[in-house]
Amino acid sequence: MAVNLQAPVSPSDLIEDYRHGFHDAENYVFKSDKGLTPEIVERISAMKDEPAWMREFRLKAYELFMAKPMPTWGDTALLSEIDFGNIHYFVKSTDQTERSWDDVPEDIKRTFDRLGIPEAERKFLSGVSAQYESEVVYHSTTKALDEQGVLFCDMDTAVKQYPDIVRKYFATVIPPGDNKFAALNSAVWSGGSFIYVPPGVTVAMPLQAYFRINAENMGQFERTLIIADKGAKVHYIEGCTAPKFSTSSLHSAVVELIALEGASIRYTTIQNWYRNIFNLVTKRAVAHANATIEWVDGNIGSRLTMKYPSIYLMGEGARGEVLSMAFAGEGQHQDAGAKVIHVAPRTTSVVTNKSVSAHGGKTTYRGLVEVHAGAVGAKTRVRCDALIMDEESSSDTKPTMKIHEQRSTVEHEASVSKIGEEQLFYAMSRGLSEADATAMIVNGFFDFFVKELPMEYAVELNRLVKMEMEGAVG
Amino acid sequence: MAKHRVAKVSEITPGTTRRVVIDSCEVLLCNVGGAFYAIEDVCTHDGGPLDQGTLEGECVVCPRHGATFDVRTGDALTLPAVIPLMTFPVTVHDDDIFVEV
Repeated sequence: MAVNLQAPVSPSDLIEDYRHGFHDAENYVFKSDKGLTPEIVERISAMKDEPAWMREFRLKAYELFMAKPMPTWGDTALLSEIDFGNIHYFVKSTDQTERSWDDVPEDIKRTFDRLGIPEAERKFLSGVSAQYESEVVYHSTTKALDEQGVLFCDMDTAVKQYPDIVRKYFATVIPPGDNKFAALNSAVWSGGSFIYVPPGVTVAMPLQAYFRINAENMGQFERTLIIADKGAKVHYIEGCTAPKFSTSSLHSAVVELIALEGASIRYTTIQNWYRNIFNLVTKRAVAHANATIEWVDGNIGSRLTMKYPSIYLMGEGARGEVLSMAFAGEGQHQDAGAKVIHVAPRTTSVVTNKSVSAHGGKTTYRGLVEVHAGAVGAKTRVRCDALIMDEESSSDTKPTMKIHEQRSTVEHEASVSKIGEEQLFYAMSRGLSEADATAMIVNGFFDFFVKELPMEYAVELNRLVKMEMEGAVG
Repeated sequence: MAKHRVAKVSEITPGTTRRVVIDSCEVLLCNVGGAFYAIEDVCTHDGGPLDQGTLEGECVVCPRHGATFDVRTGDALTLPAVIPLMTFPVTVHDDDIFVEV
């Protein structure tokens, strides 16, 4: 979509035109009642025709969810706005998972068209798995992946088709009791991706999935599990956008990554939720000896995001990296960060976080670095930079460091700044409008992140940032 | 290592646990199908007690963050715990359970 930067734009126009703010008429096969009861949990399990162990797992998680208190830290005022009784926990949009793009229903296709999922992503890339509402409606895996023995399907299918692998790893990284939202996800999860890469196999193309929320007041609880066996390599990309709604929706995903010895997993997320969505996600990875985990995490939109991708460096020589960016506009709070736990010797990690708050938005960096006793030679570097655009916006940095090993190297660097008048004046003296100049500076600030993205995503992210900035100055 | 009589067999039914403190050492006594195991009653993840958690088969699940440990070996089976629990030898004489700490 071309954005005419010269035309005067008011924030209300932008909201009306916001290209992710459309909303197709709802057309569902099944929509659960609002609120959560054991009967709804059982019904979800029954509709998915799940084995008994998964039903029991869900019911146990339901009990944990009910018993666990809400977090007493973070933005408790915003969290208290979530009305768990006013949410549909399961929506099924078509009867069965479609295999071919031609078979995907027209209105769903139209939604994807309007979202502008890149052509390449739809038809060419090695695996396409688009999640519309709670279940994956379209999923295809190319022959090449099959030949390599790579398993890539939605999580519901994996539970039935690959029960041995799923049972071995499912919920071992994030147990249901981890926190209230992980318990909720464990009880009502639906959809999400499952990937298993056999030993020594490198998946050349990034595997991709696209998530959407379309039903008003609907929670989306996808569950992703990625296992890279010894020496395997995989890159997974998840993009998220959601249309606008007047009441709040809840998104609470659980993502577990397991990189066995010498394996490598990169997980890229771009989130662009509309500003009424609560995005409370638990993401955690385990890296065994000499394995690498990389989280590339972009957060734009949502009412409140709480997301701290974690890496447990369990084996000697394991490496972890978290690259994240956040943009908070009016009424938004991006509470994001990273956690790295060095358990084994000679493990290394890098955390780079950049955030921009504008028009009254708020960003928080909340991070943890922990070095266990015995993790000799561990090295970690944390860098977080915040850019505050105006007087109404704010940013907090809350890093925690627990170092129990003297023979380790820990670096932390943080900066808070605002756009300099001189920078703006200079750019404007070269013929740029104030909006263009601001957008250019902000895009430059995020450049470290954007250059890690595949081209289509990089282009889309730059556009989104520009639109957000126009909103702020319009 | 001294042996301490900590409970009677009849007091701890299968599938249940009991917290006992021996010389300021916090111990969780677990009855797994009639066999007794003793582990430290301190989750290695957050340092809190495990006795309010649940015993599922041979695993104890921490009530706060869901970390799971094998009570027979002390091994941490799920994150967020990564360090194993200490275990203590248990002996049973007649109706008495003894733990060595």
